[in-house]
Amino acid sequence: MPKSGKQRILVVDDSEMNREILTDILEEDFEVIEARDGVEAVNYMRSFGEEFAVVLLDIVMPRMDGFNVLEIMNAYKWIQSIPVIMISAENSSSYMVRAYELGAVDYIQRPFDATVVRRRVLNTIMLYAKQRKLVGLVEESIYEKEKEQSLLINILSHIVEFRNGESGLHALHIQTMTDIILQDLVRYTDKYKLSAKDLTLITTAAALHDIGKIAIDDALLNKSNPSQQEKDEIKKHTLYGEEMLSKINAYQSEPLLNIAKEICRHHHERYDGKGYPDGLSGDDIPISAQVVSIAVVYEYLAKEYNHDKAVDMILNGDYGSFNPLLLKVFMRVSDKIRSELHLNSAGGKSRYDVSRISREVIAHKELGVSRRMFDMVEQERVKYRFIASLSGELLAEIYFDPVTMEFIGDSAEKLGVDRHIADPLNDEKIKACLGENNLAAFKEKLLAATKEEPSFDMDCEIKAGGKNYMCKLSALVLYAYNEDKRKSAAEGAIVRAVLKEG
Amino acid sequence: MDLKTFYCEIGGNYEETFKRFMTDERILKFVRKFPLDGSFALLKTSLAEKKVEDAFRAAHTLKGVAQNLGFDRLFVTAEKVTNILRGGSLEVDALMPELEELYNLTITAINNL
Repeated sequence: MPKSGKQRILVVDDSEMNREILTDILEEDFEVIEARDGVEAVNYMRSFGEEFAVVLLDIVMPRMDGFNVLEIMNAYKWIQSIPVIMISAENSSSYMVRAYELGAVDYIQRPFDATVVRRRVLNTIMLYAKQRKLVGLVEESIYEKEKEQSLLINILSHIVEFRNGESGLHALHIQTMTDIILQDLVRYTDKYKLSAKDLTLITTAAALHDIGKIAIDDALLNKSNPSQQEKDEIKKHTLYGEEMLSKINAYQSEPLLNIAKEICRHHHERYDGKGYPDGLSGDDIPISAQVVSIAVVYEYLAKEYNHDKAVDMILNGDYGSFNPLLLKVFMRVSDKIRSELHLNSAGGKSRYDVSRISREVIAHKELGVSRRMFDMVEQERVKYRFIASLSGELLAEIYFDPVTMEFIGDSAEKLGVDRHIADPLNDEKIKACLGENNLAAFKEKLLAATKEEPSFDMDCEIKAGGKNYMCKLSALVLYAYNEDKRKSAAEGAIVRAVLKEG
Repeated sequence: MDLKTFYCEIGGNYEETFKRFMTDERILKFVRKFPLDGSFALLKTSLAEKKVEDAFRAAHTLKGVAQNLGFDRLFVTAEKVTNILRGGSLEVDALMPELEELYNLTITAINNL
């Protein structure tokens, strides 16, 4: 919401008189912003985003008409969060139908009636506020559930690996492979009737495959040359795992738990029936366990030898037989598995062009647990960059130690500066673009940011490609925790710029 | 001249406009702004330059403004012109003198308010 405390609404009409009449009716209750045509309207929506409580939209306008505005709002999904009320003088039903089809929620006929306009706008806002609140509640509960679930699973699998003397990445590798294999499998065949939700559940549950090892003495687990009897005892981790999960009374109806149980019990079965503990064969082995079993074997062999040898041995049947269909899938995705697992190990390069901050944090050993979270953060970043590139915003990241700057997408080109800049606050091209005074002001604001108030806005004039622009700069300073986990330090900042010709 | 007389003179509807605007001050504020609206001038130049789309938009705007201000006679004629231009035809010569006369009448009356 804007600083005035009033909700902000956008009035789009090419007639100044009509805009003024509407503003006059509405300005007591709202902060009204006026746009003269579709192009201006879209620019305002870009700058203010979902801050508009309502858009009042005319249809017949020069440069870009109201239908085009609605189309753009659909393309960027703004239409889902910003309600649009049509205010055209066009009362023909074909116009109205088209506007409704494009997502307009209401129609105010001309001539404008002060009471009707106010009431319609207020009603629409109230309706949307209720809906937004509901959506927020649902999202929050899903997020909470997902968060608890994966956190718990990560902790559990981590404990197992810790006792196993494994790297902490084992469960993550199994999950990554399970996901890759399943995604390809469902593209290839619908034999197993797996929904998108099933894939998520199997991938999540895969982390628990060795949970039964908790019930086995770690001296035995880590023994280098176990006897046959000891080997048989270790094999029982499959049964212990299922048993442990079956004793959790509260969640027996949870699909996740049931999938985890079948994975625990059957991830050492083989397609020809020569595996354990039940000697199941073919598709009597749940598909979840079949996928996890290939992943487990690959993970073991790749560590023991190398990627190529592991793939050869698996395809050759050296480590037991697998579903021929899954072997085909595995062959197809083996390169992807190699690159993803390599990227997924500590110290390797991340698949999402991870910033220095997350790279450093991930390098800490104990972060096996929160690795997933960082992946999610990185994915958000990738998404944000993508969306920013669509909406024409300019984006850059600044790292503080040492001070470097990276422009994202085509931002550098648009501004006529270099993509990577070693010392941005003293860079000549940046100075030429932003001007000395603006740069100094920006630096001051950046240094003044605190953890409590990490973001700031700045309006300024800039030069790019020989033109002057009005520029709205927004920056968010990012904080990362250092080793003793109590103190946090500013690590960098994200800067967004929205340009307007003028 | 008071508002009621003004509306009577130009063939408008004062009562209905008052109901929508709720105060005379608000009506006056916008009626006084009417001469600043450039759509009639734009309509004439667009017609002279045979730019039918621009002419349509201008007529359309004039129609909307007249409707909002309760200038009924002007609105009705502007609407006729708009509908012809909407179809891509520039054949509005029969209506333009009437529209211009109404427009000038309205401007003169506003100046006497």
